[in-house]
Amino acid sequence: MATDVDRRRDFEATLTRAAEGRVEEAGAAIQRASLLRDAIHRFSRNRASVVAAFAFVMMVGFVYITPWADSASPYNVDFSKAYLPLSWAHPFGTDEFGRDLLVRTALGGRVSVQIGFAATIAIMVVGITYGAVSGFAGGWIDNAMMRFLDALYGLPYLPFAIITLAIFGTVNFWTMVVALTVASWFTTARVMRGQIITLKENDYVRAATALGARWYRILFRHLLPNTLGVIIVFVFLELPGVVLGEAFLSFLGLGINPPKASWGTLAQDGYNSYQEHPYIIVIPSLAIAWLILSAFFIADGLRDALDPRTRAKF
Amino acid sequence: MLKFVVRRFVWTIPVILLVVFFTFAMMRQIKGNPFQVTERAVPESIQRNLDRKFHLDKPWYTQYYYYVKGVFTFDLGPSLVQRNQTVNDIIKEHFPVSLRLGMLAMAWALLLGVPLGLLSALKQNSITDYLTMAFVNSGSAIPNFLVSTLLIYFFAVKWRGTFHLPTNGWDNSIGGWKTWILPAIALGHAPMTIFARIVRGSVLETVQQDYIRTAKAKGLRWRRVVGLHVLRNSLIPAVTAAAPLLGFLITGSFIVEFIFGIPGIGRYFVISVTGRDYSVTMGITVMLSAIIIVANMVVDILYGFLDPRTRDART
Amino acid sequence: MALLEVNDLRTYFKTRAGEVHAVDGVSFSVDRGLTLGIVGESGCGKSVTAFSIMGLVQPPGRVVGGSVLFDGRELVGRKDKEMENIRGREISMIFQDPMTSLNPTLTIGTQITETLRRHLRMSKDEARKRAIQLLEEVHIPNAAARLDDYPHRYSGGMRQRVMIAIALSCNPKLLIADEPTTALDVTVQAGILDLLRELREQHDMAMMLITHDMGVVAETADDVIVMYAGQVVEQAQTLDLFDNPEHPYTEALLAALPQIEGEGVREGRLTSIPGRPPDLISPPEGCRFAQRCPYAGSDDCHLIVPDLREIRSGHWVRSQHPASERAGRPVGVT
Repeated sequence: MATDVDRRRDFEATLTRAAEGRVEEAGAAIQRASLLRDAIHRFSRNRASVVAAFAFVMMVGFVYITPWADSASPYNVDFSKAYLPLSWAHPFGTDEFGRDLLVRTALGGRVSVQIGFAATIAIMVVGITYGAVSGFAGGWIDNAMMRFLDALYGLPYLPFAIITLAIFGTVNFWTMVVALTVASWFTTARVMRGQIITLKENDYVRAATALGARWYRILFRHLLPNTLGVIIVFVFLELPGVVLGEAFLSFLGLGINPPKASWGTLAQDGYNSYQEHPYIIVIPSLAIAWLILSAFFIADGLRDALDPRTRAKF
Repeated sequence: MLKFVVRRFVWTIPVILLVVFFTFAMMRQIKGNPFQVTERAVPESIQRNLDRKFHLDKPWYTQYYYYVKGVFTFDLGPSLVQRNQTVNDIIKEHFPVSLRLGMLAMAWALLLGVPLGLLSALKQNSITDYLTMAFVNSGSAIPNFLVSTLLIYFFAVKWRGTFHLPTNGWDNSIGGWKTWILPAIALGHAPMTIFARIVRGSVLETVQQDYIRTAKAKGLRWRRVVGLHVLRNSLIPAVTAAAPLLGFLITGSFIVEFIFGIPGIGRYFVISVTGRDYSVTMGITVMLSAIIIVANMVVDILYGFLDPRTRDART
Repeated sequence: MALLEVNDLRTYFKTRAGEVHAVDGVSFSVDRGLTLGIVGESGCGKSVTAFSIMGLVQPPGRVVGGSVLFDGRELVGRKDKEMENIRGREISMIFQDPMTSLNPTLTIGTQITETLRRHLRMSKDEARKRAIQLLEEVHIPNAAARLDDYPHRYSGGMRQRVMIAIALSCNPKLLIADEPTTALDVTVQAGILDLLRELREQHDMAMMLITHDMGVVAETADDVIVMYAGQVVEQAQTLDLFDNPEHPYTEALLAALPQIEGEGVREGRLTSIPGRPPDLISPPEGCRFAQRCPYAGSDDCHLIVPDLREIRSGHWVRSQHPASERAGRPVGVT
């Protein structure tokens, strides 16, 4: 019959054995404790997302490297070379002015991508600030800010972008970025607020407060870093929207002024002659589609990687 | 239920006020008297009359007050370019066209999107699923202008013989139905892909629920299990997506109306901006906002109708 | 002939890690008008057995072998459309969690009448009247008024009663109850069990009651089978099982029951069975309980799967060391 002393000794022996056996495992366990590593690992298991990530990087690489590598200047007007079909010298053909479309597409891509990223960042900044303030403040401030946000949802996106541009009078990089941001930051703000509110309830926040941490420390050190995952996912979700928005505006003639062209402007050029030369509109459109699709699948993969609970694949 | 509707309705008023304020504030930033922007010189006396009639000689808050009053009495002011027309006239002329286009597009989106999503979900991971989703996903990324252009290129030009569809224009009378087909498809394409994805995700989730297992255990026919038990629950997220989709329709309509040469308010909006007919711009924006707000309200009500749990939860 | 005869049923699940042998050669029978209890721990395959009988096993699982004879008819391999006619009409099933087993967007009335109209071809009015009767049978107060309520207006216990009403609506010959009381409070449990007993007698139905709770089995079942790791390890009449358990696992289960009365009871700890159930993707070669069995020595318990043998009249066991053989007690001759 086991006595208390015997039992205690058994227990201790078991512990020691376990500890010794675990020494090797301990090193490995700490390595894997990094959340980022976990997320990257999960992301790379999702084939669609990895392909999309490659595609995205490829496109960004294309728009930046090609004009630099290709000697054909996009501004040379040479009517004798107008509307050339796809060939080795001109893989995308030429447009009505004889300009090489490959380079033009790449340059146009630079504009579209830059505007896209800038606007996305702007949306993030505005949205995160608004949402974080609202969620963190809570109470009547939160209420008021959310009611206001609800009201803003009634603003139609494109008309307001157009109005903003009209107010500015000119359309350049920065006015376009502002115009695209004006009516697009609402969802981000709302989601951020939700995140902050959920995270606020966590015990470590209470612990930090009890230890005397000030609000800005809690917000910047504890809460915001934990929203990083959501923010990254949203970047890839918002990017397609603004790129498409800019393309729409340019297509309608309300976009960037020549000679600077974006994909939307190229598409508009192509539209005028699509019946005889369809590729001029098809190519920039496909470039846009490429970017959008890859961003979407990246966002999907990121979402799965960062929140394993959303795996509904059975 | 009634209380719910009334309360939502009451809440739209401050929202509209806000929208008007924004639009107005933005418009005011454009310097100078709008009437002076037009090329044709306006005789002094007429100018003064116009100023007085539209309160342009008063400070901005008075102008704002009169404008708001106008909005609520459905008087959106005069057109600045078309002298003999008011904004109301213009809207009345062009809105029905856009409305019909929008409704047809939505119908197309639902009629194609929901079954595709359902089919995809029921045959998850099969070839059908992959092909359908490939079609849907690629369709969602291709910009509206390419879709429209391709539709015209193939159906109205290249295969003119088989289809007999016009390349552009719009005839709002019933006889002109052929002009409606391509634009509706073009406009409804992106929403269709959204519905398909939502329905697919929703059906996949619903099918795993316990109550579907119960339905099967009761020996109900498969048709009924899917048609009633699954669909009832799966369509709820699709309905809630319908309101933001309205935003898509509006945005998309600008492009589609432009390409197909359709005299709707989307196209007129662009014309008014480039032509500096700002009162029209404002008027259309306010109206679009009102539509979005009403649509959101309708969706909320519909949601309460579809999901009985929320009816009791509303206080 | 028994109403339900299950013979060497095997149901496997394909997973990324391998094929899980969830049900691996299960045989038993259910007689008309009697209740069979199936008891075992989580993951032993009892629910999957029930689903296999009903034809409700979803991919990646499938029935790979064996036979299920219901009223003389083979159910394994039957087409879906034919199974649809049998389910709800001749064999009914109720499930574990009443909170999620009813469709939240349809009224209770609809969910009852649709079964009636499907199998018995009743008209809308007839079905409604019968539905009210059924609700009254399961003791739902104010049945007529509550027929048009949605499930969220009902409590858990009431929802389970509704499930029972639906299951019995077409007078099935067999009712399979998969852990019907597990998700309910103890007091509500008793009510549900009483109701099941009452209705079973009234409708002269056979019942298969699946549970992990020995107490429920003792109260409700006429016969019991004990399942472990996808196999039947003991089968007997309830009283005989509780009085004279044979299989070491059964003994351990009974020993693990907390006791209120008896000598030395308050002093010791609750005994549990050390170890864990075996991996069903590559099940052990021999007896599946051998790893945890206190009687498995260095003999061939780990190498040979014992057969299910009749150690006494009506008492079967799958073990090389059943209780009666261990203690040297003379085994009853069949």
